[in-house]
Amino acid sequence: MRSILITGGNGGLGLGIAHYFLSHDPEARVWLGVRKNRDKADEISRIFPDRCRVIELEVTAPDAWKNAMDEIVSSDQRLDVLVNNAGMHRDCLLAAMPDETWHDVIAANLDSVFHGCRAVVGQMMRQRFGRIINIASLSAVLPPLGQTNYAAAKAGVVALSQTLAKEVARSGITVNSLLPGFIETDALAEMEDDARKISQRNIPMRRFGKPEEVAAAVYFLASKDAAYITGASLKIDGGIL
Amino acid sequence: MEGLELREKIKEVMVDELMLDQAPNQIDDKIPIFGAGGLGLDSVDALQLVVALEKHFGLKVGNSDAAKAILESVETIAQEIEKSA
Repeated sequence: MRSILITGGNGGLGLGIAHYFLSHDPEARVWLGVRKNRDKADEISRIFPDRCRVIELEVTAPDAWKNAMDEIVSSDQRLDVLVNNAGMHRDCLLAAMPDETWHDVIAANLDSVFHGCRAVVGQMMRQRFGRIINIASLSAVLPPLGQTNYAAAKAGVVALSQTLAKEVARSGITVNSLLPGFIETDALAEMEDDARKISQRNIPMRRFGKPEEVAAAVYFLASKDAAYITGASLKIDGGIL
Repeated sequence: MEGLELREKIKEVMVDELMLDQAPNQIDDKIPIFGAGGLGLDSVDALQLVVALEKHFGLKVGNSDAAKAILESVETIAQEIEKSA
């Protein structure tokens, strides 16, 4: 049995990653961390009743992480994989950005990863095995206008991953970050047609990515075959440079 | 477990978990674990050692001040385990 925790478990990418694990590895037991909305996560847990569970997890709260870890370890006696996928953006030009917008985005995207990594690393050290995959964003290296908060947080996630990778390498734990570009999720579905076309024209592959194409990279990085890959950041963006 | 047996077991755990080059019987009970004058372990080793001590001996090291004193040598670790037993 392989125990996997995925945050942002009710969103398109989180669900895509969960579905990939559940359909490719019969030994996978997936915990979907959710905050307010959980309808889609509940749906997938009904499809895989013995192998997928939904757990309440406010990723910016250390106590919530402790409670979630207690529940997972008491059930599975281990946690093999953490996918820090929860996040959000609230775009605004810096000159007009309220303090709250800055802090909320940093908390949701960067503080959450810190709390999550700290919550699981002790258990993974005891196991002498662990895989942490942090979902950053292409914005970490190619930030668009209006994302000073989001881009700074995601660049922080990449740097955090690289540093933590060094700290836990001796314990059989790898820490990597993924930088997805435009991925077909609910957030992208809200985009106007014209804006979609312009965005697609800027992608060498002329199309958006699918959640399962990000999930495949997560799945590989979570495998034993990826044991020598740590501190890496992988762009998944159809060739945007 | 206490006395000599405990100290030998601590050394075995250290060699095994921290992948040390020395044999357990080459480690003196009172040699400093950290720093150039001792075994030369670093802060990452310290973190691993804390986890290993909890796993093998049930010893919980609360905070970094306590850790500094407890993890000074095999002898201080042994005394702490005996005290908490």
